Amino acid sequence: MKTVDYFKKYSIYALLLVGVLFIGCTKDDDDPAPENELEVITDVKLIFTNTNDANDVVTARAQDPDGPGVQELAILDTINLGVGKTYTLTYEIFNNLETPGENIGDEIKDEDDEHQFFFSFSNNAFANPTGNGNIDTASDPINYNDNDGTNPVGLSTTWTTSTTQLTNGTFTVRLQHQPGVKTATSGATDGDTDFNLPFVLNIR
Amino acid sequence: MKQIFLVLLLFAIQQATIAQKADPCNHVLKGTILDIDTKAALPYAVVKVKGTKHITQTDINGRFQIKNLCDEVNTLIISCFGYCDTTCQQFHKNIQRPKIYLKQQVKTLNTVTITAGKDKEQGTASISQQTITKEALTNIPTQTLASAISEVEGVTFTSTGNNVQLPVIHGLYGNRVLTLNNGLKHGFQNWGTDHAPEIDVATAHSITVVKGAAGVRFGPEALGGAIVVEADPLYLNEPLKSRIGTGYQTNGQGYFANYEIGQGLKNWSYHLGANYTRIGDLQTPDYSLTNTGKEEISVNGGLRYHLTNWDFKVYYSYVNQDLALLRSSIANSGTSFVRAINADEPVIIQPFSYDINEPSQLTQHHLGRVEINWRYADDAKLTLRVGSQINQREEYDVRRNADIPIIDLDLVTNDYQLEWKHPDWSGLDGLVGLQVFTQNNDNNPGTQTTPFIPNYNTLRFSGFIIESLKKGKNTFELGLRIDQESNNVRGREVNQNLFRDEYSFTNLTASLGYIRQISESTTFRTNLATAWRTPNMAELFSFGQHGFKTSFGLLRYYANDEGQLRTDRVIALRESNVSPEKGYKWINEWQTQTKTNTYTFTAYANYIENFIYDRPLAVIGTIRGPMPVFIYDQANALFMGADWTWEKRWSQSLTGTFGVSYLWSANIDKNEALINQPPITTSYKLLWKTKGFWKVQSSQFSIKPSYTFKQFQAPRTVRPDELIDGSVVITPDSEIFDFRDAPEGFFLLDIAWRFKVKQFGASFSVQNVFNTRYRNYLNDMRYFADEPGRNFLFTINYMFNAKSATK
Repeated sequence: MKTVDYFKKYSIYALLLVGVLFIGCTKDDDDPAPENELEVITDVKLIFTNTNDANDVVTARAQDPDGPGVQELAILDTINLGVGKTYTLTYEIFNNLETPGENIGDEIKDEDDEHQFFFSFSNNAFANPTGNGNIDTASDPINYNDNDGTNPVGLSTTWTTSTTQLTNGTFTVRLQHQPGVKTATSGATDGDTDFNLPFVLNIR
Repeated sequence: MKQIFLVLLLFAIQQATIAQKADPCNHVLKGTILDIDTKAALPYAVVKVKGTKHITQTDINGRFQIKNLCDEVNTLIISCFGYCDTTCQQFHKNIQRPKIYLKQQVKTLNTVTITAGKDKEQGTASISQQTITKEALTNIPTQTLASAISEVEGVTFTSTGNNVQLPVIHGLYGNRVLTLNNGLKHGFQNWGTDHAPEIDVATAHSITVVKGAAGVRFGPEALGGAIVVEADPLYLNEPLKSRIGTGYQTNGQGYFANYEIGQGLKNWSYHLGANYTRIGDLQTPDYSLTNTGKEEISVNGGLRYHLTNWDFKVYYSYVNQDLALLRSSIANSGTSFVRAINADEPVIIQPFSYDINEPSQLTQHHLGRVEINWRYADDAKLTLRVGSQINQREEYDVRRNADIPIIDLDLVTNDYQLEWKHPDWSGLDGLVGLQVFTQNNDNNPGTQTTPFIPNYNTLRFSGFIIESLKKGKNTFELGLRIDQESNNVRGREVNQNLFRDEYSFTNLTASLGYIRQISESTTFRTNLATAWRTPNMAELFSFGQHGFKTSFGLLRYYANDEGQLRTDRVIALRESNVSPEKGYKWINEWQTQTKTNTYTFTAYANYIENFIYDRPLAVIGTIRGPMPVFIYDQANALFMGADWTWEKRWSQSLTGTFGVSYLWSANIDKNEALINQPPITTSYKLLWKTKGFWKVQSSQFSIKPSYTFKQFQAPRTVRPDELIDGSVVITPDSEIFDFRDAPEGFFLLDIAWRFKVKQFGASFSVQNVFNTRYRNYLNDMRYFADEPGRNFLFTINYMFNAKSATK
């Protein structure tokens, strides 16, 4: 019976010890580390520059001020282009949730083999490219000025407006993120959408 | 030779007796045989003295007496129909009449055994509950915990695909159903329907479903019920037993292997088990469900050391799961969400593969537990349980940095439980407990996104008392519990600014139960219980995209002065109108057992104040295109329903079980439907046990048709394109809606055949025999794809050393 008594005694101490040890554990109250959001875009500005007149610049902005929050996307401007003119389209793309704002356009340039811009617009709004853009059919004409070595990117494109006026037309720009998917034939539904912005287009 | 599962309960009297030097054959032994659970006397039990010709039967009061024994120390073998044979060694002559407790034999029917007489956890005896045994669990070793217990009436499962399935008890799920994993609250990232408890059913010995509010006994999260998962009970005096099993299923080309070994010695007992499962992409009748495979490894071991009054148990389990989620469920742009939700087939279908790509969940769960029981008197016991759990979760999403987890969390849970089963206090049988529960959640840095869940520490002190009183045919049960919980939260806003919150709650819960043995065959039990639950971290703080949803927790959104929803800051809990959930559940069960029929009828009403639920809010325009947004909301809700089962023994070998479950639920503030509530289900299971033939010793055949109705209580439907084009405008006060109609009702047929040849056991089953095309309202993937089609499952196992413990 002695062993049992010994065991009893021993166990009680063990119990107490275990209890004290565990409860005595200090609370750690670490804060989560700040994360560098790579995916958020809050501001996109389209910049149409007249190829014959560097001072003739048309801009149009879209903004989602709270990024992943519930606030609606706001298309702030309409695109008002002149009749029969040729423009180069470039962008300013930012994440302004961070201070200072982060230039996402630079990231796209760094990862140009994973990105492509696609467009859709009112039929024959432009004399060049003709048609309604390449969102519906990827092989439709768009005048890309850049490439990733093989395939077009679209950080710069050229547009010649139609000679006829257009009111309340549409001009949609879509940026697709296509890691491992981008090929000569990949289209606007391949990969994931980084932005998809439907603007109103006037030509007069 | 009859195979007997020997359960040894040794409460032999250890006090030394003074040897008497007289006629050697004049020793007298007296005793009383009682049921271990009910403490009822067991008449007509046979008591044999090993090695002698002495044999006797207990009288009506369970007493026995054996005279003229030559030895002072004897071994008794006690057997009683329906109970396990018990051996009492070193049974001494004693002044008092020692009590010997017998344990009811767990029926080893090859089906879901409803062991009405199984020992119920104290404090839950008046609540309707059912147990599923290991035999039934090993039928389908590839299934999840939730689908294993969904055979119980009133229990269904809600899921996100086929790998993440959570049990639903009477319309409640998630963190309203507590999963008790070997006596500890399973400590995992329990949010909504997105995560399932990391428990491998193949390693469970039994699973009990408690269908009432069991918060007093188990803690705040048992508001809707509890699922009690128990590992091997580590019986003593069990012969060495080891079993190896493997199998294959056609759907998903899944295979598994498991092994277990266990032995019970006089004072020692151990059990070890391991399991591996791998399943590839599942297949619907028409197409492959790309990225729906899983890989699971689990190991567990238990060790027990037993002394006369002391009992020590150590248990450890490890589960490693890699679960794929349907690729087509992730629409990384709004336009593709609209396309995915309107498509009849998923947008992405690829050839079969075992690969697990994004989206996927990788979790590791360690559970360690020490339990010490000190039975310091015949009817009193002190239990200390200390447990520690580490849950590591990494989730991968379809995104720019798909190889970096988007969610990377470590959750450490510690439990300390001290329970005192006190001796008889003028008829009161009771349990008093003190519990300390801590949880520490940390985000691992490097996810490159705002943490979906903040870091937090939870500390909870609880005390409870449960008493039951038996007076004739009446049993009364009363429970009280007090919890004090404090939380410290640290998270990041979307601009990476830090936010902190600190809050605590104290609450009292109570439970009142009554059991009446109305007649020989009929029992009535009723239980009224309150329960409470603090909103969990996901309900309060979730922010951003998780799976196909963009969700906002209760403290993550507010309406500005113009009534517009904003999510740019985090509200402190004390400044919000968020309150803990409080539940009041009244559950009644009538059970009538005649010679060949058993009827069980359960009816319940459950009122939940401040019920938290997430619901579709809108399709919000974002830079990426329109995205579906869900918010968490609170309302007072009422759940009422009934379950009915009718078991009929048509003949010695043929048994049929009919079951039907009905639930009505509503948000009574707004008088509108709740979302994701289980529809009416009904099933009939016919079980035919054949005699041995050819080399087959025993075999049983089962056929189970079931019908699940369409959920007619589903909210109205507003299609995403209607929200995008603005033809329907939704504000936070608008009536609840869903993006798609509730799926149509469906009929399924499952068949199974099991048989035994010597030491081999095998089974062959077919699920969804008719390859029915259907979608399940409780599966989040219903928006995107059908459920899996027909599946053939083969299992085979071999038992080494299958010597029966004969006495």
